[in-house]
Amino acid sequence: MTRERRGLVLALHLAIIAVLAGLQLVLPPFHHGMVARIMVLAAYAIGYNLLLGYTGLMSLGHAMFFAAGMYGTGLTIHHLGAGVALGFLAGLVAGVVTAAVVGLITLKTVGPAFLIVTMMLAQAFYLATLYFNEVTMGDQGFILAGLHLDLGGHRFALANPAVKYNVGLGLFAICLLGSLWLVSSPVGRIFLALRENEERTRLLGYNTARYRLVAVVVSGLISALAGAAYTLLFSYVGSTFAGILYSIYPLLWTLLGGAGTTLGPLVGTLLMTYVVDVASGITTGYLIVVGAMLVVAVLWAPAGVVGGIRARWARWLP
Amino acid sequence: MGAVAALSLLETQALSKRFGGLEAVSAVDFHLGRGEVRALIGPNGAGKTTLVGLISGRLTPTSGRVLFAGRDVTSLRAWERVGLGIVYTFQITSIYRSLAVWDNVALAAQRRHLGAVADWLALDRQAVARDVDAALATVGLADLSDQPAGALAYGHQRLVEVAMALALRPELLILDEPTQGLAAGEIEALCRLVRDIAGAATVLIIEHNMAVVLQLAGRVTVMDKGRIIAEGTPREIEAHPEVQRAYLGR
Repeated sequence: MTRERRGLVLALHLAIIAVLAGLQLVLPPFHHGMVARIMVLAAYAIGYNLLLGYTGLMSLGHAMFFAAGMYGTGLTIHHLGAGVALGFLAGLVAGVVTAAVVGLITLKTVGPAFLIVTMMLAQAFYLATLYFNEVTMGDQGFILAGLHLDLGGHRFALANPAVKYNVGLGLFAICLLGSLWLVSSPVGRIFLALRENEERTRLLGYNTARYRLVAVVVSGLISALAGAAYTLLFSYVGSTFAGILYSIYPLLWTLLGGAGTTLGPLVGTLLMTYVVDVASGITTGYLIVVGAMLVVAVLWAPAGVVGGIRARWARWLP
Repeated sequence: MGAVAALSLLETQALSKRFGGLEAVSAVDFHLGRGEVRALIGPNGAGKTTLVGLISGRLTPTSGRVLFAGRDVTSLRAWERVGLGIVYTFQITSIYRSLAVWDNVALAAQRRHLGAVADWLALDRQAVARDVDAALATVGLADLSDQPAGALAYGHQRLVEVAMALALRPELLILDEPTQGLAAGEIEALCRLVRDIAGAATVLIIEHNMAVVLQLAGRVTVMDKGRIIAEGTPREIEAHPEVQRAYLGR
């Protein structure tokens, strides 16, 4: 990343957030709700991309982090009667704890081994959500009704579309700007170094195991934040979100948008969600379309949309 | 012992490394004084790279000890030894090819500034930038700092490697065949660079090119079959009969 372009890069990211903020004024109700959902899922992809794109670790188990946030929040509210803020916090804590455990277990694995171990752990997590169905309500899940957020003396119902949109936007903006800050920071540079050449990085004096663990935990935290937000905004908790499909989705979104680019996750999530939406209106086999898109992306656009733009026209994109 | 310890920067005691049935380094006692430029020579497979691997911590010894500045560092891992000033440059150029030259060197330079977690949040970017620019100026790559390192010519990539080592402010700089694959003019420039570096650091250089060894080294250590077979000034080594037989092939 070149040093002189910091201002331009920040302006671009703020402009995209501003565009998303402005869109709510013009979008018809259906798309309004769709974009709100996409922003939350894009935050999930941002968390995923931090590990795949910037640290070079491909996980197939991120659904367990997303679901940790979801269950941490949902169960605390449902069983303990916690408020929205406390529930959200519980989701984040659950995500960090899960990620720390997974990070420690996978510390010595790279490449395919990391992929397989994360997939197995996520599968164990998924099966646990089914096994303990007295607590989790298994794949039926449960609905959280009447959630509201108290802020500065005002009470906002999370079921209200405008509240939904703006809370989603706020959390997405935090994740986007946070990831931009992180990848332009000295620690982000170390993540890249891990991706490029771990042994070299060790011989520059870095405890690479520690930085890997940090990367897994931060990635897990952002994913859990997205899961917690999803629960609060869409009022549903269920084991579907812990399943393998929700581990594959962020991989697809990230690859499609551009792994190792800060804006790739948003672009990929946006594209894919709309394609799935259109395709599922035409056929029930919409997963075929998802698979075909992955094949196309891997074969013809391995750098993804934003990655391709960066390679051709805008080398300065982070 | 006291007098020796004061002068000695690096010492190995009965250091051995066994790979399966092969003893690559065999009970080596090696001393290196502070401020020396020492060449380590020997035929292929003599155990030179293994020995410096044990010194830098890339490899763990089967037995024996490594002392650095009077301290036993045998149990320290490679990244911890870098913190003490033991810096290794790779035989096969090992840089971050897709990162800019500047970022390659910044990764080395920021290492010293990143101690506590607080430093992660508020790194002294200007201090890092100064160190990076200084290291790049020393090796003469200032003009190429924004290029991806992998796009540079091979000779320049070697210089990136040296700049990274410099930015770590080494006490002991280990250069593993730095002139391999370089053109004659580049070798000369590298020799000048090593002489400059030697003013501030102790240098241990593995080198096959005898002209370079004669030009740079104050003393030469010769290894063969995992053992040190001779040690002395370049002139003495050239004349040493065992060295001629084992290494120079005369």
